[in-house]
Amino acid sequence: MADAVALPQTKSANPALQILKLLPGILLLAGIGYAGKVIEQSVARYAKAHHLVLPNIEYVLWAILIGLLIANTVGVPEVFRAGVSTYEFWLKVGIVLLGSRFILGDVLKLGGVSLGLVALELAVALSFMTFLGRVFKLKPKLTSLLAIGSAVCGVSAIIAAEGAIDADEEDTSFAIAAILALGALSLFTFPLIGHALHMSDRAYGLWAGLAVDNTAEATAAGALYSDAAGKLAVLAKTTRNAMIGFVVLGYAWYWARRGQAQAVGNKAAFLWQKFPKFILGFLLISILATYHFFDKPQLTALGNLSRWAFLLTFAGVGLRTNFSEMRKQGFGPFAVGAIGEIVIAVVTLGMVLAADRLLRI
Amino acid sequence: MSTPKEAPAKRRISLDEWAVVAALLLALIVRVGILKQVPW
Repeated sequence: MADAVALPQTKSANPALQILKLLPGILLLAGIGYAGKVIEQSVARYAKAHHLVLPNIEYVLWAILIGLLIANTVGVPEVFRAGVSTYEFWLKVGIVLLGSRFILGDVLKLGGVSLGLVALELAVALSFMTFLGRVFKLKPKLTSLLAIGSAVCGVSAIIAAEGAIDADEEDTSFAIAAILALGALSLFTFPLIGHALHMSDRAYGLWAGLAVDNTAEATAAGALYSDAAGKLAVLAKTTRNAMIGFVVLGYAWYWARRGQAQAVGNKAAFLWQKFPKFILGFLLISILATYHFFDKPQLTALGNLSRWAFLLTFAGVGLRTNFSEMRKQGFGPFAVGAIGEIVIAVVTLGMVLAADRLLRI
Repeated sequence: MSTPKEAPAKRRISLDEWAVVAALLLALIVRVGILKQVPW
């Protein structure tokens, strides 16, 4: 993920004051997330009391919708922005803690299947996006950023690649806007397709993890389907994230050979710098859970802490999605991204369904 | 005469590393029993 992204920095050097400035936004995330949970429960209670059959809309979607509503009507006031941008931090805390709900054997088995599928997805996504960029006559580095963003890890991969391939800031913001807009659309389309095809939780979770670009959106798209699908989506997406260093290194080498980026000196250090460290945290917690470092109530507590962290993330996904900002970024990158995403989604869906039948994943 | 040496740039802890530290800290708090139950 993005090594360049750290916790939001404010101008004050006083750490206590910095944390204080994050508080309003964090409280807003928690408030929206909790409101989503309350609405889900209230709707279910109302339906039960009145003997109605209402569609079960999960708290995940409510939290995202409330966030979207605020961001696209009144906007997020300045005082909340620093705290709201911590949603990616909560996402990673949630992923590390989610390790407690995986036995190491499952991680290795499903991670192995995911790795094979990820390798195929990378080959398809990188080559098809490059082809599309040429057809639409996008600038070559913008095409590279879109290819990296859709193949690996959304916004974080684009940010990681920006410095490595010496890309323009304008290209970077185009690519990020396209990936975010498509991620928002996938939240609404993926669960519908999954239900229409009667996909199993495992197959759907793997598909969401392979095809949805941003980690937050992939986690949300999985959780919107079911709890089990959410777990699988995180595992598949995490496997994809692990590839970020290799892909960015490949592109850095390609642009350096053309004299349009600096050559990478120490490749091992580069790979380590780009490697998403939260994957190591996830594996560590999974190992500890496998070898009974935690008892059952403690595992339940860790699983619930992970859910709370994701709740803040889902609120943040809605709050940072501003459609009018995205519209300003132009049609070309969005069109390339959209066509590419549809093809990647269809190809990965075929791969997952085949793997589901052949390997009984 | 010796020239003043530039201080090595401070390495910023990345978001990933903060998240791992925070999550492991939470796991430890649960493990030692400070936090016994987390409702959902």
